[in-house]
Amino acid sequence: MTLLDVDNLTIRFKTDEGLITAVEDVSFHIAPGEVLGLVGESGSGKSVTAKALMQLNGRNTVYDPASRITLHGDRDIDVLGLRRERDMTPIRGGEISMIFQEPMASFAPALTVGAQMVEQLRIHTDLSKKAARDLSIEMLDRVGITEPQRRIDQYVFEYSGGMRQRAMIAMALSTRPRLLIADEPTTALDVTIQRQVLDLMRDLTAEFGMSILFITHDLGVIAQIADRVAVLYLGRIMEMGPVRDVLRTPAHAYTRGLLNALPDLDNLDAPLTPIPGDIPSPLERPSGCVFHPRNPELAPGSRYERDVPPLTEVRPGHVAALFPEDAA
Amino acid sequence: MTPLVRIEDLTVAFPLGRSLLGTPPMLKAVKNVTLDIPKGSFVGLVGESGSGKTTLGRAILRAAPISAGRITYDDGTNHFDIGQMTAKAERAFRAEAQLIFQDPYAALSPRMTVRDIIAEPLEVLGLTHSRAETDARVRDIAAKCRINLEHLRRYPHAFSGGQRQRISIARTLAAGPKFVVADECVAALDVSIQADILNLLKQLQRDLDLTFLFISHDLSVVAHVCDYLAVMYLGEIVEEGPTRAIFANPQHDYTRTLLAAIPSLDPDQRSRVVRN
Repeated sequence: MTLLDVDNLTIRFKTDEGLITAVEDVSFHIAPGEVLGLVGESGSGKSVTAKALMQLNGRNTVYDPASRITLHGDRDIDVLGLRRERDMTPIRGGEISMIFQEPMASFAPALTVGAQMVEQLRIHTDLSKKAARDLSIEMLDRVGITEPQRRIDQYVFEYSGGMRQRAMIAMALSTRPRLLIADEPTTALDVTIQRQVLDLMRDLTAEFGMSILFITHDLGVIAQIADRVAVLYLGRIMEMGPVRDVLRTPAHAYTRGLLNALPDLDNLDAPLTPIPGDIPSPLERPSGCVFHPRNPELAPGSRYERDVPPLTEVRPGHVAALFPEDAA
Repeated sequence: MTPLVRIEDLTVAFPLGRSLLGTPPMLKAVKNVTLDIPKGSFVGLVGESGSGKTTLGRAILRAAPISAGRITYDDGTNHFDIGQMTAKAERAFRAEAQLIFQDPYAALSPRMTVRDIIAEPLEVLGLTHSRAETDARVRDIAAKCRINLEHLRRYPHAFSGGQRQRISIARTLAAGPKFVVADECVAALDVSIQADILNLLKQLQRDLDLTFLFISHDLSVVAHVCDYLAVMYLGEIVEEGPTRAIFANPQHDYTRTLLAAIPSLDPDQRSRVVRN
């Protein structure tokens, strides 16, 4: 039984320079209580995928007709089938909540933190104003904000960076969403604060039983928080599987390249190994396997230059974009 | 041997707002810092936000006020006392010491060609005397930074983050500085590109005989490129020493906390450095 199913998601954007493909044929699922990490570099489509789950992409977005996003529950929600704004309330802060990299941008500067927390509870639940305020204070306390009774009436500029991130998490979780989308939630934080926020998110998943789609470019963060991971490059899944399996025995050259590019703290003398080349512009999408121009393991004339490799199982529950003969 | 840059008991303070009576309260961003940067070294300055690391880097380049203490620069032929420079000395110092910016998207003017971007410091400082001479210097530094010479006629928007950072580095080095402050210069880059830029900086350091002050919040990056490390916390240097020694045996509690917070790539380990 899954909580969320994403099937054949293909997202294009209409631009002055033509139709740009941001996400291509992406399928994954998230089980209840599971943390799925979505890792990728710029242009990988990780944020576009996340926004699609709440229909937050801009007006120039074109979803391929075969794309399906289904949120299971008492009543299944066909996310991409929602047309009217008011039908989207449940997927925007109710059943699905989202936290962002920059907490300053998620709070209105001229309203107190409490006013915003109470407002969203009044929209998504039938709590009274008093009950909503009590719950908000409890949530601020739960995420480790001291003196929540006083802090709730402050403005976000009076909070430190770590407190803002905690307050955003408190707000996102107060409606008890079943799925939390976290888009680079720790990237702008100092490492010591990042550690606290990751620990907090882990505790809260266990306590609330919710699922998380955790988006980041940082494989270390993925290792610490995710149960499973999907590695994206130029809008395609290159590899997906249990986090230990993928990080310890990566099957795809791109995942290996990302891991090798990271400084190795156990061997400070080891040279840094970049992945050759640059991430191509979205207007110059490579044919075949999108990673083939940067893949040092391929011989010229390889089949990967022409044909798109399918996601092939390399170990139980672990797939990679490889032709079956290479997946052994 | 005298160090290239010597920082002695430096304090940098900024006024906090204005006061009608008397002097306003001051925020001390850097407090009584003493640090030597030897010639040819790659010194890392690490710390979290608000630690004063950027302010210290800026003070050396005379972009932040020196409230107390002294910064001197001595490469054997030129000697500068950063706090007491005449306009003429300052001009000479600008060719000696330069900054690489963090964000290669914001650092390059979209209205200038790559050639003009790299040539600008040469022209502003009056280091070349003809267009042909400028072109030759631009091509030389561009090649050293592994920029395709065909790209010199293009505008920055056509380039990816990694290519832009190479252009930005070429501009920084065009005037032939001996000392470079690199402030979070790979923080905005993707992982697969970061390694390439770090390798390039090391290569340039050897080829051009440069001295680096490398400012970063990322300890794993610093560990790889820097031979010497200074850890800043709340405006003070709390620990300094050879990189290896600090990673192997951190002395200060704050350094230990910082190292322990680097997330491990192994899901069964919490930290990459401190085993627990």
